[in-house]
Amino acid sequence: MKRTGCAILALAWVAFAGVACAQDAAAIDPAAAKKAVELCSTCHGPYGISTSPDFPILAAQREGYLEAQIDAFRSHARAEKDAHDIMWGIAGNLDPAIIKGIAQYYAAQTPAPGRIQDPAAIARGKEVYDKGVPARGIPACATCHGPDAKGQSIFPRLAGQHASYVVKQLNYIQSLVRAAPVMHGIVKDLTPEEIQAVAYYVQSK
Amino acid sequence: MKENAATRGIGAIALALVLVLGCFAGAANAVPSFARQTGQECPACHVSWPELTPYGRYFKLTGYTIGKAAITSDGPQYLPMAIMAQASVTNTRNNKVTDPDTGDTTTVTQRNNSLVFSGGSLFLAGKVNDYLGGFVQWTYDNLATVTNGTLGGHSSVDNIDLRGAYKYSPVGAGEPEWVFGMTLNNNPTVQDPWNSSPAWGYPYTTPPLANTPAAATIIDGGLAQQVVGLGAYAWWQKTIYAEFSSYRTANVMGNLFRLGLPINTAGGVYAINNFNPYWRLAYTHEWGPNSVMVGTYGMVANVFPDNLNASGPTDKYQDVALDAQYQYISDEHTFTAQTTYIWEKQKYNASYAAVQDTGAGLGAGPTPDNATDMLRTFKLKGSYYFQRKYGGTLALFQTTGSADAGLYGTTPDGNVLTPNSSGYIVELDYLPIQNVRLVLQYTGYTKFDGGRSNYDGTGRNAGDNNTLFANVWVAF
Repeated sequence: MKRTGCAILALAWVAFAGVACAQDAAAIDPAAAKKAVELCSTCHGPYGISTSPDFPILAAQREGYLEAQIDAFRSHARAEKDAHDIMWGIAGNLDPAIIKGIAQYYAAQTPAPGRIQDPAAIARGKEVYDKGVPARGIPACATCHGPDAKGQSIFPRLAGQHASYVVKQLNYIQSLVRAAPVMHGIVKDLTPEEIQAVAYYVQSK
Repeated sequence: MKENAATRGIGAIALALVLVLGCFAGAANAVPSFARQTGQECPACHVSWPELTPYGRYFKLTGYTIGKAAITSDGPQYLPMAIMAQASVTNTRNNKVTDPDTGDTTTVTQRNNSLVFSGGSLFLAGKVNDYLGGFVQWTYDNLATVTNGTLGGHSSVDNIDLRGAYKYSPVGAGEPEWVFGMTLNNNPTVQDPWNSSPAWGYPYTTPPLANTPAAATIIDGGLAQQVVGLGAYAWWQKTIYAEFSSYRTANVMGNLFRLGLPINTAGGVYAINNFNPYWRLAYTHEWGPNSVMVGTYGMVANVFPDNLNASGPTDKYQDVALDAQYQYISDEHTFTAQTTYIWEKQKYNASYAAVQDTGAGLGAGPTPDNATDMLRTFKLKGSYYFQRKYGGTLALFQTTGSADAGLYGTTPDGNVLTPNSSGYIVELDYLPIQNVRLVLQYTGYTKFDGGRSNYDGTGRNAGDNNTLFANVWVAF
């Protein structure tokens, strides 16, 4: 029942936000691309593939999701420590056109390759990701984030993301430090072991 | 008695801290001007100020130009100013020295075990446009002078670093291929983005009233705020960094770079001849939460022995240094380490000749017994921080060099002294908020100005100079 509900919610988001598609790199605002190359890359790495797990990989991230997150930093709707200390300032100095261009730039990049870490945990994570935890009413992650964790519509791509970053964000959402009401309802009952397993799984994709 | 005084002092410093926090508690947005410029908090650029993160180094090398200009076509955007202040209590282990001839006892440092306001700085810092930025620091030292046994204050210019930078990113690049820049500054190594070189190296703060070793290489603060240098640098693929600068005495048009310095006092400042080269080469690499730098830097300074008579022959100081830095930075745990080794060759072409000819140096200049001396400094420091809030640091330092009776004197039994000093620092830090840093620092000496025991002929031992330093450091 919950899985069906989540799917309906996903479709509603798609209808609301429109279908996002990979951007033609040539169509990206050069000023936005320059900002991504000369500013964002400092922490998020060249082409959006960061090496430090403190900073998320942005390559091939969903455009709508990226735009929404930068807006959330700008409006201070996202207020976890990293957002407050670093991203409020960065996003506050960007105008909407540049934000859109940056989102397009990263959406158009080649995704980061998956990295294998702890195969046993990855297997457990795949199970949770694909099927959820029906006994505790936890829906499958794949419902919104796609069967390959590539994201869909405004639901973010998780494939290839740093596992420790995924863990950190799920912890923030679980503890309501990061305001994400839908996600909070879905992940609030995940155990730390399940969160770690899912994070290793999506990192491996 | 000493313990009671120390306890009173530490109690007073705690009270001062409460007052400071109370004053600023309602002004959480009042952060230093670079933070106002970028809209970011201190940890974006600093592991613990002044130590820079990789992002902080990029901010510096790109000319302090990330964020908003202080003034735009829309008018003023933020106040490009910041203040910094320190108050502390220092306990010198043995603050008495007894004259072996007269038996008279005097104190080594003043205000031992007392709360003192060390001083403060005013910064003018910000971005001018997408290519220009910088900072100017003006410092008031509340304990700068001693007149009739009373400490007095003095203010003067401190560090200055004005930059222009350009980022070159070819089409299709994922990050800047090159960063080119220029720096105009008044302290060799102040322009350096790594915290292994002297100007921003450890210790980041020291007791304002303490007996410290006499010898230091000239690149290790010897020329600070006395010279002006113009340099050009390039950083390729965030991997190879190269810089060349040239320094000269900050006189004539450069006087602003040494404003407030005792330029008319014999021995008050250094005067250097014409242009003196400084260089820096570094290899850097980042992977995961790690970053490493291995490099070399140095300079050649031709110094007039008599700063009040900047003419004639000069002494030559040739400094060559190796340094390295490692940083592991994550949300919870941060570990950083820096080290440097500086070799200095002191060629007393002018002073040695004067001593040989007349038995005296030139003005207040050195009076070496050797034509050439060596001075070597080694520093190693490691820090751990938890959540950038609770920190601990261990450091080792050692200075060794040639024995020279003219420079360092002799022991009562006639042995020629060296500049050798060595010791360690143990430090605990607590940052209740990002703008406030509480420091408890112990400095222990295993050798001081050439000896371990009775190094000065008064029976004083190296360990007598050990200090316990409790400090409140605020920046807004």
